Amino acid sequence: MIGIQHYLVVSAILFVMGVLGIFANRKNVIIILMAIELILLAVNLNLVAFSAYLGDLVGQVFAMFVLTVAAGEAAIGLAILVIYFRGRGTIATDDINRMKG
Amino acid sequence: MIQALAFYLFAALVIGSGLLTITARNPVHSVLWLILAFFNAAGLMLLVGAEFIAMLLVIVYVGAVAVLFLFVVMMLDIDFAELRAGFARYALFGLAIAIVLVSEMIIAAGAWSAGSLELAQRIAPTPNDMPNIQAVGGLLYTRYLYLFEAAGFVLLVAMIGAIVLTHRARSGVRPQNISEQVKRRPQDAVRNINQPSGQGVEL
Amino acid sequence: MVDLSQYLPILLFLGVALVLSSIFVFAPMAVARLTGAHKPDAEKLSEYECGFPAFEDSRSQFDVRFYLVAILFIIFDLEAAFLFPWAVSLKEIGWAGWGAMMIFLAELGLGLVYAWKKGALEWE
Repeated sequence: MIGIQHYLVVSAILFVMGVLGIFANRKNVIIILMAIELILLAVNLNLVAFSAYLGDLVGQVFAMFVLTVAAGEAAIGLAILVIYFRGRGTIATDDINRMKG
Repeated sequence: MIQALAFYLFAALVIGSGLLTITARNPVHSVLWLILAFFNAAGLMLLVGAEFIAMLLVIVYVGAVAVLFLFVVMMLDIDFAELRAGFARYALFGLAIAIVLVSEMIIAAGAWSAGSLELAQRIAPTPNDMPNIQAVGGLLYTRYLYLFEAAGFVLLVAMIGAIVLTHRARSGVRPQNISEQVKRRPQDAVRNINQPSGQGVEL
Repeated sequence: MVDLSQYLPILLFLGVALVLSSIFVFAPMAVARLTGAHKPDAEKLSEYECGFPAFEDSRSQFDVRFYLVAILFIIFDLEAAFLFPWAVSLKEIGWAGWGAMMIFLAELGLGLVYAWKKGALEWE
């Protein structure tokens, strides 16, 4: 029988995969944003699994809010990326430190 | 039995496509693997009975967020091979951290199941006699009403922010003005004259 | 865990769709291979007149304005997602829930008016 531990392990692996994605593709902002989406997906999976196994609906409601924030984050993050690319012609993270001042 | 089978299928696919998302050479493939990961996560959520969230995941993530990513990948003319430089070096370092992190998390999950942690009692027990979406709605619009309004503001800010950031008024273009076109009557545009012969046309 | 047997019709539907679509893809290929002559050369396989090359980089550039439309789509997609549980549970949540959704809709309506006035929906 599939217990909550199974779900926790899957979402832990998915979460860590998102972290690894940020490390491995640290020059490419688009892949970093995708890795953040993977992390948020893992969080949602965790919330839903706990909600189902504890018989408490709150987790699902909060998963909805996480989804909303994730969509807003993707929209704004990619918009910043687009205007940054328009100004600089690159999206390499090494060049973004020029943003200060 | 079928549930276990479906769980392992979805779980293996979500982890596999997650791995391919972060390692794919072509960012377009990366986005497509991300979409597959979302689909399988929706399947996992379906298995525990969170039907509404699963469908929301398909509609919002696959239908909108992933498409947005695809748009950006297509729109920007970037040499992605250059951005991949140093991938192996960083990946090795990241792998070490990832292994530590995942083992910590799994140990933590084990500690919870061993009963060493006491969780608070339920806030909103899942009702048995109504569909999932109705139960979620009943909770969302009563107890979490203010959070829902805050989510609305988040959406509003995201929308206005995206417009402010990416929209620019183009100069030197002549956009179509539909109301002007519709308002134009025949008497403004057409002139009927009885043209006498031997004289030039008055324009 | 839910009773998975209620998803059986969907599985059947997916199976039928998969079988039908693969028939439509592979049957013409098989028929063409069995009935016609099959002697390809480089000239025959190249694209004809205004055809596109069949295999090229999967990225092709397009305009930033599509991006703005996609963002507006995300926002209103989520709005619709919030409308579904509201509509289903309207009886339980009463007037407070109804009013909250109206405020929510007004917020996003405000966003739409802003987008309209700013000209983000124009396509010159």
